[in-house]
Amino acid sequence: MTSNLSPGSAEWVLAFADDEHMIGARHAAWIGLGPFLEEDLAFCSIAQDELGHAIALYDYVTDDLDRFALLRDPSAYRSAWLCELPCDHWDQALVRHWLYDQAEALRWEAVAGSSVDALRDLAARAEREERFHRDHAELYLRRISEGHQDGRDRIEAAVDALLPFACGLWEPVAGEPEALADGVVTLGSEALAEQWTTAIQSELSAWGYEIEWPEAVIGQDQRRARSVEFAALQASLQEVISIDPDATW
Amino acid sequence: MRTYEVFLKKQGKDEFRHVGSMQAPDAEMALPLARESYARRAEGDLMWLVDRQDLIVADPDLIAPNADKPHRHNDGKRVAAKRKDDRATT
Repeated sequence: MTSNLSPGSAEWVLAFADDEHMIGARHAAWIGLGPFLEEDLAFCSIAQDELGHAIALYDYVTDDLDRFALLRDPSAYRSAWLCELPCDHWDQALVRHWLYDQAEALRWEAVAGSSVDALRDLAARAEREERFHRDHAELYLRRISEGHQDGRDRIEAAVDALLPFACGLWEPVAGEPEALADGVVTLGSEALAEQWTTAIQSELSAWGYEIEWPEAVIGQDQRRARSVEFAALQASLQEVISIDPDATW
Repeated sequence: MRTYEVFLKKQGKDEFRHVGSMQAPDAEMALPLARESYARRAEGDLMWLVDRQDLIVADPDLIAPNADKPHRHNDGKRVAAKRKDDRATT
């Protein structure tokens, strides 16, 4: 099903879908590598939830899911760099999971009162899963923060490194004003960014971190520009489909 | 790490069933990890976790069956045979 979204609304949904797709793919890369079996399963289960959201959101913008999700020209993606980064150390993956899921909750809130009925239902369904994602991230970060200095140092370094990218989540796509005017989305990036910043800062301070908030947000030309890591990520995602692009799954 | 035994129950008449074991540092961590390890595909609506240390484990000798107690096992064959005879004679 593709719906009759305006180009601006479709772009807003696309950016959300691409973020969910890329973060889901990056989280899923931890399968078999998580710190212990149960966490390995938990993190990859979270990854599957995010991929599920991506599929549901792509449904609004394409009838040809696999090829659209995997084979577009990089400039046609709208993913945030935070989601494209490899984060191949567990501390970074965990901190990104927390920064992203705090933001994701707010984005579902932005469509919880959407003029599109199905998006409202999807937001309600997603939030039931997201509650556990946030609990999962917070549980680890709180406990690591109460533990050894080494853990605290790693978390602090990961937060420092990832915050400028995470703030970039709120750089709106060009279509956002139209999406807001359509009522498909009811909260703009600026308002969401403010809520997110408050939430992130209050948790960091509750865990005893004094983090300098980044002055410069990493801009991506209204999300049209891809990170340097994107090409390798997309190539790995294309490995199977490129064997036979016309296969039906 | 502690070891927990995981039990799940579907809403309705089914009883709790043991679905497996898992490791976690403590109960607070065990709950979300058990959810993702054993209930992520909606296998149950209710979940119990039991720390393996809290299980009361019986010595196998205590529960070993005594094979020489046929009076505890009624396979119903004699009753069935009698009823069959009764039907044949009426």
